This record gives sequence, C-alpha cells and structure tokens, in this order.
Amino acid sequence: MTRLVLLSLVGTLLVTASMAETSRGFKRLLDAVVRIDVREFAYEAGSKRFQSGVGSGVIVSDDGLILTNAHVVGLRAVDINVTLANLERVSAELVGWDHWTDLALLRLDAEELKRKGHKFTVGRFGDSDDLDPGETVYAVGTPHGLTRTVTRGIISNPRRFFADSRGVKGYETGQFNTWLQTDAAINPGNSGGPLVTSDGRIVGINSRGYSGADNLGFAIPSSTARRVMTGLAEDGAIERSYVGIVPGALRDLEDFYDLELNTGMLINSVDPGSPAAEAGMRGGDILLKINGERVDGRFPEQLPPIKNMIAVRPIGSELTLSIKRGDSTDDYTVTTEELVSRVGDESVVEIWGLSIREVSRPFARENQLPNDEGVLVIGVQRGFPAQVAGLSTGDVITKINNTPIASIADILKQAEAYEELPDKVLVEARRKFRVSLYVLKP
Amino acid sequence: MKTSFTPFLAGLFCIVGISSIVADQSPASLLDERLASVVVVEFAIEHELDRTLNYINGIVIDDDGTVILESSAISDRATPGQLVDFKIYRPGYPTTQYATADYLGQDGYTTWHFVKVQPEGRTGLRPITDFAAADPAAMPVIGEKIWGIGLRQKDEDFAPYYLSSQVSLIQRLPQLTGVALGSVAGRGCPLFNEAGEFIGMGASGFGQRMMIYSQRRRGEMSVLINPDEAAGFRLAAEVYPAIGRIPDNLFGRPLPWFGIDGINPVGPEVAEFLGLGSTTGLVISELLSGSPAEEGGLMPRDIIIALDGMPLPRLKPDGVVAAHLMREILKREPGDTLSLTILRDQLELELPIELGDAPKTPKEAARNYFEELGITIRETVFSDVVARREDPSSLIGAIAHFIKPSSPAGTAGLRVDDWIKEIDGTAVVDYEQALELFGAAESSGRPEVVMLVSRGGETSVMRVKIDE
Repeated sequence: MTRLVLLSLVGTLLVTASMAETSRGFKRLLDAVVRIDVREFAYEAGSKRFQSGVGSGVIVSDDGLILTNAHVVGLRAVDINVTLANLERVSAELVGWDHWTDLALLRLDAEELKRKGHKFTVGRFGDSDDLDPGETVYAVGTPHGLTRTVTRGIISNPRRFFADSRGVKGYETGQFNTWLQTDAAINPGNSGGPLVTSDGRIVGINSRGYSGADNLGFAIPSSTARRVMTGLAEDGAIERSYVGIVPGALRDLEDFYDLELNTGMLINSVDPGSPAAEAGMRGGDILLKINGERVDGRFPEQLPPIKNMIAVRPIGSELTLSIKRGDSTDDYTVTTEELVSRVGDESVVEIWGLSIREVSRPFARENQLPNDEGVLVIGVQRGFPAQVAGLSTGDVITKINNTPIASIADILKQAEAYEELPDKVLVEARRKFRVSLYVLKP
Repeated sequence: MKTSFTPFLAGLFCIVGISSIVADQSPASLLDERLASVVVVEFAIEHELDRTLNYINGIVIDDDGTVILESSAISDRATPGQLVDFKIYRPGYPTTQYATADYLGQDGYTTWHFVKVQPEGRTGLRPITDFAAADPAAMPVIGEKIWGIGLRQKDEDFAPYYLSSQVSLIQRLPQLTGVALGSVAGRGCPLFNEAGEFIGMGASGFGQRMMIYSQRRRGEMSVLINPDEAAGFRLAAEVYPAIGRIPDNLFGRPLPWFGIDGINPVGPEVAEFLGLGSTTGLVISELLSGSPAEEGGLMPRDIIIALDGMPLPRLKPDGVVAAHLMREILKREPGDTLSLTILRDQLELELPIELGDAPKTPKEAARNYFEELGITIRETVFSDVVARREDPSSLIGAIAHFIKPSSPAGTAGLRVDDWIKEIDGTAVVDYEQALELFGAAESSGRPEVVMLVSRGGETSVMRVKIDE
C-alpha cells in the first residue's frame, strides 16, 4: 500500500516535470518576465498627487519592448522601473497605451542596459485562437509584490466576453476583444504578466480576476495583444472608428425577426447624434452586412469581433451597412468618426483646489447632457475656494464670471487672471440638470 | 394669503365665543375633551399582488366629519383608485367599534389629504376649531409650555397618552413650524397650550443629528427620528387653511402650472455678489417645453428675485426659498397671473406669467395589470418624458409601473420605469395602443412578446417569453 502511493506520487511528479519545469521554452520565458514599479501622478481631490504601484510585464522584442497592462502603466507615469530576471533594475519609458484592450507598451532604456551590461531573453508568442478549455497554462508575475511567482491552472474558457465601462483607471475596456479565462491564481500585481503554455509560449497577458471569487482570472488573448502591440509600437496609440451602434445578441429572436440562424446582429440602441443615428438607423434594426461582409451576432461572445470590424476601419471611412427593418432590407451609408473615451483630458487648478476633466461626447451622452460643453469637476481639495464655495465632484462648470467655459484651457485662463489679481469669481455649474451659482473667494 | 381666510377667521371668533375653554381644568380632563378631535384612519393600498394596511393619525376639522392627514401619510406612488377600506377608530375605544370613511383627495397647496367620515360615525367627533385660541393667528412663544396627544398602537386600542414640553424654536420652512425641546405629540396629533388652545399638529421628519460614538471607528453623524412621536409640529395657522380647501375631486384639481424644473436658491455669498442685499434669488435650471413659464418669456439661468414685487425672503436653510416659490404658485389658480422680477445678464426684467393648468400627473395616469406577463403599464405623462430628457410634446409609448418578480416580464429584464416604445415591432403611439398590443399578445397564443424599451436614454430589445 505504502509503495503504491509512493509510486503514484513519483509518477505525477514525472508527468508534471515533463510539462513545464524542464522545458527549455519555459525557462527562456521566465527570463523574459519582469517586475514593473511605477510612480505616476493623478489630479485627485483638487491637487496633483503621486501614487505608486507594482505590476508585471514580459519582454517581447530584442530592442527591449515590454508588453504590460494599461492599468499598470498609465499616461501619467513619471517613473517606470523594470526589474529583470537577474533582479537588476533598469528604467523604461511608455511607448504606447490602449485602455480598450488594457494593454501598454514600454521600452527599456537601451543606453542604461548597455552601460550596465544586462542581458534578457525575449518571450515568444503562441496562438491563443488554438486554445482549448482544460489546457494547462501558467501565470508568471509579481502578485502582491512577490517577484517572480509562477502559478498554474487551466484554460477555463478561451472566449469569455465582458465589457467593463470603467475597468482601466476609469476608462472603458473589453468592447473589442474577448478574454481568456483561467483558474491559475491571478492576484493584484500579476497584471501585465504573461499567461503561457507549458512550452513557455505567451498566449495571454494577465489582466484581472474577480475579487472575492476563487480562481476566476482573465487575460487578453495573444492574438489581440500582438495586433495592438504592432499599432502601439508604430503610433503610440490605436485609432478606432465609431459609428454609434450598441449591439445585442440575436439569440432566441430569430423567429421574431424572421431570420435564418446565425445571420445578422441586433442593434439594441443607436447613440443620439452619432453617424448611425444621422443615417437614420435605430434600436431594433438588424445589421446584416458591413461593406457586403455578412455578420453573425447570435451570441454575446460574437459581438466584440463585429464591433472590431468597424473599429479597425480608418477614421472617416464610408461604410455600407445593410439593415433589415421589418420586411425590408436597405443599405445605409455612414462615415465613421473617431472613437473617443468617456474620460476626457484632465488638469488641476491648484489655487482653487479643483481637479477638472473635459466633458467628452460619450460622457455627455451617458449623462444626457445637452452638449459636450463645460468642464467636469472630478475632485476638490478641502478648505480651498472651490470646496468652500460648495462645488463638488460631478458638477459641470459652464461659466466663470459670465464667460462660457468650453474646455480646460478656458478655465486655466480664468484661473491665471485670478492668480494675478485674486478677487471674487462667480461660477455657474450644473449638477445633473440643476444650475447653481457659486462664488470663489480668495 | 391673509385676505382669503378673513371670512373664516371671522366665523371662528363666533365659535370661540360659544366654546368653553376653561383654563383651570386638569390636564387629564383637557386631554379627554380634546380626544374628540383625534381619530386614527386605517386604509388599505391595493397593489398588483397584495395589499398593505396603513394606520395614520388625523385631526377632525369640521362638523361634517372631515379629517386631515399629513401629506406623507399616503405614498405618492399610490393612486386614489388603490386606496380602499377607510376605517375610523377613536382613541381608547375598542377597535371592534369603527366607522367607515371616504377618501376625498389631496390639496395641492396645503398638501393635506382629506377623508370624510360617514354620517353614522360622526357622533362624538368635534372639530379642532372648537379648541382654537381666541386669536387664531397668535404664535406660540419660545419657552412656552405646550402639551400634545400621543396614541399607542392598535393592539392597545390606540390608547391616548399625554406628552408635554416647551417651545424651542419657531421657523418658516416655508410652513410655520415649531420645534419643542422633546417629543410633544404623536405624528398627525394635535398640540395645545396650557389653556388647552390648539396650537399645532405633530409633524414628521424632525431629526436630531447625533454622533454615534465608538472606540473602534471614528464617529459618524447620523440622524435619529422617532417615527411615533414628534418634537416638530406645524402651527395651527397651517392647519386652519385646510378648512377652506377641501378638494371636490381626488386629485385636488384645478392645479396651477408654471413649468420650470430645477429651481436652485443662491447662497448668501452669491446673493451678495449679485447685489441682492438681504434678499435672495432662485436660479431656473430649465424651462419645460410648452409651459406657461416658457411662453411667458423666461429663459434657463434667469434668476428670480421677486414675486409680485415682493423680494424673495431669505428663508433658512437656503432650499426653503424654492419651496416658498412652489407654494406661492400652488396657492393660486390656473389663469392667475404671477409677476416675476428676474435678473438676466445682470439686468432686471419684469415678466408677467399667466399660470396654466397642470398636465396630467403620474397619479392620474391610466394603468392596467397584465397578469400573464407580470407587468403593469401606465399611460405616459408629461413629467415622464421630461424626466427622460425627451420632447414632451408627444407622449408616446407606455411606462412599466410594476414588474412582478420572476414573472415573464421580470425574467426578461424589464424594470420599473422602463419606457416601452415598441411592442412586437409596432411603434406605440399612445397608451390605448399599448393596451391593444399587449392584449393581442396575451391572447394570440404566441410564445413571446418583443419590446423595444428605453432606459437611461439607451434602448434595448427585450423578449418576454410567455408561460404556456
């Protein structure tokens, strides 16, 4: 009996060993994984404040490009320190950022690398489209700051769909890609590290887990990551096209719409003022083809790729959308606009203790504002003029001293005048739909 | 305000002349006598799936068995049609003895609800005016001793008990309101001075800010409210106008309409900046499409500074000024003219506004419950469309007023206040059409109804699977 148990234990060890630990590919991958320490600023609570965080990343090119998450390194990073496999530190800079796919691209400081004589290996990609549920995968990274941690699990679902409207530092994410779901332990700090197969091929970039749940982790598939990486390396950002349709799954509605199975995508809603709305499309329409190419949006998992079909067209493209409404099918021509985030540019007026953000079109639409004019208050500092006057987060400033405020520049101009000659300032702001007046006093 | 009630006040003096308020009576006998003006009103609200029983204290205001209840006594979501089985209990009497009553409606200006006791139940009731002070306009003074009636629950026969305190504060909110040092009357029950003269009615919602002290967590402010007894009370002067305003219809029509949304008081700093001195102003956020205010030439962001030539008073807290304006409007009638002085781009303008007739309210909207689908739909009214930031000149579709949990509609994801714009592919032009389409869907034998529903400005298609 005792012997049997022992034997079976040895057997397990042998099998496991053959899967990853002894694989050359896996070892090579380990040498490509890095820890990332970031210090960045934020315009929180009416002042410019610094915060720091730890994440993971993987080196993906000979010239030191590192793939990580957009929520690990943001546009306001001032200090990025990368810890290589040999535990030596090298600084890096941000090359590109894309919150829609939660990806960021960094580049190691070549000069510093050369000076210090550090070496690294380059991770190799696998094909995420080939993954099957149940396949063994490993997550490598820095959970809770524990450098160089490997956890193991399986692919729980290779095509998970979820969109999060505030998932990346308040920015939208997940609308244009599906996710790999894994039960490999993914904790805070794993973000940006690779999800790899037993031969060390990168199939995903670990991004998030359900907090409070057991072993529900998610990674951006490598097929998405490689495409975005190319774009970020070239332009620093990914431009996407927008037409303003909100898709829905057609499942169970085919009879009602008199459609063959696996044909078309439901349009749940059309954003007011968007190209699709201008063209006359509306909620309840069925999108059959984009530029003659048939679409199949039967299940929620199929929607991100369809949205991506539109997103990848150059901004300003003319698209022909075949739309079925009732018994008739018509072509609608729409000219795409640039996709923008709900989160606009941000700044701070420190003398008033006021953090501000541009009102973007999506923000105005979500909040049913009449237009995208005005500037949103995102924080106030206690005891400073803005807070004392009664302004608070969520207010939209529309006028200062009877001058209309359309952008951050308009506010900064008023603040400059105040700084030169501090005097009472009358501010008009909207909270939801109510207009109020405030006086800022020196 | 004063002129319209002068005839009533004159009448009151006569009553006082013949009434017998005797100052040297004992508290027990004073209380006993005044119980004749206090009743407990029981009524049921019929919902789609169940009914809820409510017990509210009320005060008798005349010899015809009219009883007033505070405005919060009846939920705003309940329509008069849902209010049934009104019963009247006398404090301290066995609850097997009760009278029946009818709901008369709510008055828009005073916001009281009115109930009329059936003739056979009126014996022994006395109007509160029997206990009016010699000068009904006299105000209680700070420090004055006052007492009131509290009532126990039904299982104790609504037994009356005595509460007493002293006046601590008198304020306009904008209703004349008093605050006592402690609980001084049950909600909706009367208060009296030492001579037994009626001085007010126990009001709801007077909270004291309290610090919850904990050694583990830093203290947080909380508001504690006693739901049974009140330290705050509406003065008698707020109760007497009810006598002249018994509604002759359930919705208190005619209701005047002005048509502005979001009136925000300016703070003292802004008032000073605008040169308003010791008075104040109200910023108008929005004008409702087609409203008298819009037609009268008001613009968004105008600042109202005076009504009929009277500068807006600085009532505290600031928000009370907005309520003051609403009351000034509601005490008028459709067709009356209100003269507004406004500030626009720092210039003063005088604008006469002729009040209109208020559009149909959600309470007045027709509604119908579809048992199989598990949904109550209601007629779309003006305020629904305004709240959804669309053009209220066309009242299309229907509003989901109730969704039965786990019903076909509930399972499909419909929620209360969803705006149903299409049913089975047909655009719903009005409520009647929604009724027809739902009726047809339920009787068609089809396994589903498909709706286009608007929520938060976004539409979505919802499929409601009908049970076999």
